[in-house]
Amino acid sequence: MTILFAALALALLGLILGGLIGFTAKKFAVETDPRIEEITNLLPGANCGGCGYAGCADYARAIVEDGVSPANCAAATEENFQKIMAAAGQEAAKRERKVAVVYCSGDNRHAVHVALYNGLNDCRAAAALSGAGKGCRFGCIGLGSCARNCPFGAIEIRDGLAIVHAELCKGCGKCTEVCPRKLIHLVPAESKVHVFCNSLDKGPDKRKICTAGCLACRKCVKAYPELFNAQGFLVRARDGAAITAEQVAEVKCPTGALQTVDSHANPGKRKEGAA
Amino acid sequence: MNSHHLPLRPHRFEGGIHPADGKAYTTSGTIRIPPLLDKYQLVIQQNIGVSPLLKVKKGDTVKKGQQIADPVGNISVPLHAPTSGTVGDIHDISGANGAPVPAVEIIADGKDEWCEPMECYSDWKNTNRELLLARVKDAGIVGMGGASFPTHVKLSPPPEREIDTLVINGAECEPYLTADDHLMREQADRIIAGAGICAKILKISHVLIGVEENKPEAIRALRTAAKGQKDIVIVPLKVRYPQGGEKQLIYALTGRKVLAGGLPMDVGCEVQNVATLAAIAEAAVEGRPLIERVVTVTGSPVVDPGNYLVRLGTPVRKVLEWAGGIKKEVRKLILGGPMMGFAQSSLDVTVSKNTSGILLLGADEVRQFEAGPCLSCGRCVEACPMRLLVSTLSKVCENERYDLADENYVMNCLECGICTYVCPAGRPNVQHFRRAKAEIRALKRRK
Amino acid sequence: MPSNEWLTITVGAVLVNNIVLSRIMGICPFLGVSKKIKTALGMGGAVIFVMGIASLVTSCLYHWLLSVKLNFTIGSLKVENLDLSFTRILVFIVVIAALVQMVEILLQKFSPMLYGALGIYLPLITTNCAVLGAAQLNAESNRGILPSTVYGLCSGLGFALALILFASLRERLELSRIPKAFQGTSIALITAGILALAFMGFSGLVK
Repeated sequence: MTILFAALALALLGLILGGLIGFTAKKFAVETDPRIEEITNLLPGANCGGCGYAGCADYARAIVEDGVSPANCAAATEENFQKIMAAAGQEAAKRERKVAVVYCSGDNRHAVHVALYNGLNDCRAAAALSGAGKGCRFGCIGLGSCARNCPFGAIEIRDGLAIVHAELCKGCGKCTEVCPRKLIHLVPAESKVHVFCNSLDKGPDKRKICTAGCLACRKCVKAYPELFNAQGFLVRARDGAAITAEQVAEVKCPTGALQTVDSHANPGKRKEGAA
Repeated sequence: MNSHHLPLRPHRFEGGIHPADGKAYTTSGTIRIPPLLDKYQLVIQQNIGVSPLLKVKKGDTVKKGQQIADPVGNISVPLHAPTSGTVGDIHDISGANGAPVPAVEIIADGKDEWCEPMECYSDWKNTNRELLLARVKDAGIVGMGGASFPTHVKLSPPPEREIDTLVINGAECEPYLTADDHLMREQADRIIAGAGICAKILKISHVLIGVEENKPEAIRALRTAAKGQKDIVIVPLKVRYPQGGEKQLIYALTGRKVLAGGLPMDVGCEVQNVATLAAIAEAAVEGRPLIERVVTVTGSPVVDPGNYLVRLGTPVRKVLEWAGGIKKEVRKLILGGPMMGFAQSSLDVTVSKNTSGILLLGADEVRQFEAGPCLSCGRCVEACPMRLLVSTLSKVCENERYDLADENYVMNCLECGICTYVCPAGRPNVQHFRRAKAEIRALKRRK
Repeated sequence: MPSNEWLTITVGAVLVNNIVLSRIMGICPFLGVSKKIKTALGMGGAVIFVMGIASLVTSCLYHWLLSVKLNFTIGSLKVENLDLSFTRILVFIVVIAALVQMVEILLQKFSPMLYGALGIYLPLITTNCAVLGAAQLNAESNRGILPSTVYGLCSGLGFALALILFASLRERLELSRIPKAFQGTSIALITAGILALAFMGFSGLVK
């Protein structure tokens, strides 16, 4: 008998409290758009700030309330991106995937060290002095500020050179902000070949301090003028130029500065003719 | 304020240390005049603030002292050719802080001919102060103690600020350097005249010159030069680093304390370095712009250390050649003194308006070490002349918590280097603070 | 009630039998919201508030319904000496949960700032054992309604104290070099343990 009353009493209590909560919820309700939460969940949640907002939730609010394009989020997967577009009710748009590329191939085997650095393990601090010992004042300092700042762990410092693992890179651009030498660039993921050098020094000067720099010999420009573009003492691949690994092999860059993203990330596979 | 109350004994600032001074290398001898070079690499921006705008192009002929770059806005000074000749390449060279900076090449013709001279105000006491102030700017004068802040800006404080004392920094507390010492010994008249000109520009009369006691000849020379001028007082100061820090010097000489974040003008003072004064006197009395300065070349690896009157734009490599070259392995090249100077990685860096010294250190004098964790021993806190909580700040900066660093007054750090010098764990404190200050400044600019 | 009784309740709840460090209740928000002193203050305030109200409401329920023998008639059914005290935990938890839910709704309406700061931790108080624990302890010691409320408030105060102490410790920890394996929650738990050891120093002051 007691158990029946107990059950009844609790049921009654639940009913009263439930009614009370329902009443307060109706009476003091705050309007929030359910899409904001939905989109927040679809965003990667790394809060990297690459989109220019304070975090994923803030960006979701901007997408829903201000009609900002979700394309600024470089880190969302393609599938989630489409879902976000649908949730936000925006027209389907094409989003270009970008990855970071370190325009330097001067690792410890190739770059000449002119000084010993004894100080803070941070590129920006070292750049306020004369760098961390490498002779080149344009190249990678190699203390790894970019790697520590990468929310996705896509950058590795190998042998004194920052290497981007393209499969992990989401293209948020956090690394480009912290690099004091400004040699990390965001490029379309399809472009797989670059001139991995950032030095504006004259060819012979460059040669003295690095065996992997672009000497501006223009071999590549002569072979494929439509793909490469010499800018002073530095050659760059033209924007949007589709260069194949075969073409790179054919050009035979004398220093190996012209190479594919894959060979930059796996220097072991690089031909030893480089040095 | 009674501006004529003379301190019987200078005040003792808190903190500070006595590093090995190494001045013996270059105390004797006189300032040497090196031969003319065949080319100079002149960094275009040699002042804090806005870079002047180059007005010559490659192939132009220039005369010695000719203005080759015009100032842009108020916080900027012109630049003058160090010798006569032609303008060569205009390209980037490495600056004193490592980053590439634009520089202009002057290829000397060997004649070293002066351009049309500026008017000489030999009777500066009866010259309009506006004219004198304009001359300070036109001669391209900046703070030559190291800050390279345009001097004419410093000499025109806002009218509502009352300045009553001109404090002259002849302390030269930085170890190894003797450039100011030699300048005071040999050009005391110029310095006293420069002090007079500055005082006239500021419309004050009270001048205090602080010189550390280890420069008796300089004190004697200045006293002789200032004979009969009651308003100019030369005060010998205890040898103590950083006696020549702006705020420390003001306190030592006047007993006034500049508060955190404040400027000397808040306590009615104006600080100038002796080298700057000599340059001002030269510009006003002889009508010559700033194209050369005294540089101490010193350190155990230097064969013949000494002080040289070096033209701006001279590569360090050349200066070392004049000093007889190097006799043993060099581990470190520093522009400036060992405490506050910048380590260099190249001999191609050039002398600029704020290069007070070129210091070489041998392998036996430089330690390579790993920075350890903070021991919380408190030596840095005890020695910090700005009374900062260095140990806390160091940890905060190590974790990149620049918001906390700002709360702990990192912006007041004068980068004197004491905390790094005394740290038993070998922590690069000053480098941390320089970085923190740069980050905080960048953050404030963005806001 | 003599004044030293009040003192016993207060000191006992805040220091001696601190709800977190001595009774080891409410560890989840203690670890979760203690990264910054600022959020710790907000959370502390919320817990004091919720514990106070929850203790008041639950002790009212306890004294008027649960600890007495109920006699009533529904129609022809006559009930005598009905003892519902065994439903205590169930009743308490339902009441507290409902209470916190309402507080949350009201906060969102009237103080969005505080709501944003407490974020997901407000719902955590819903099923926080510290709140339930305070109510249970009140019932167990058979305290009156007013002493129960005071006990609830003081327990909340004790929670806030522990949380703020711990948050300031963690702010310091953030600047320390910690071996990789100990970083994050592990070092926080060790620190919490040491902090609890320190609070053991108060034991024996009151029973």
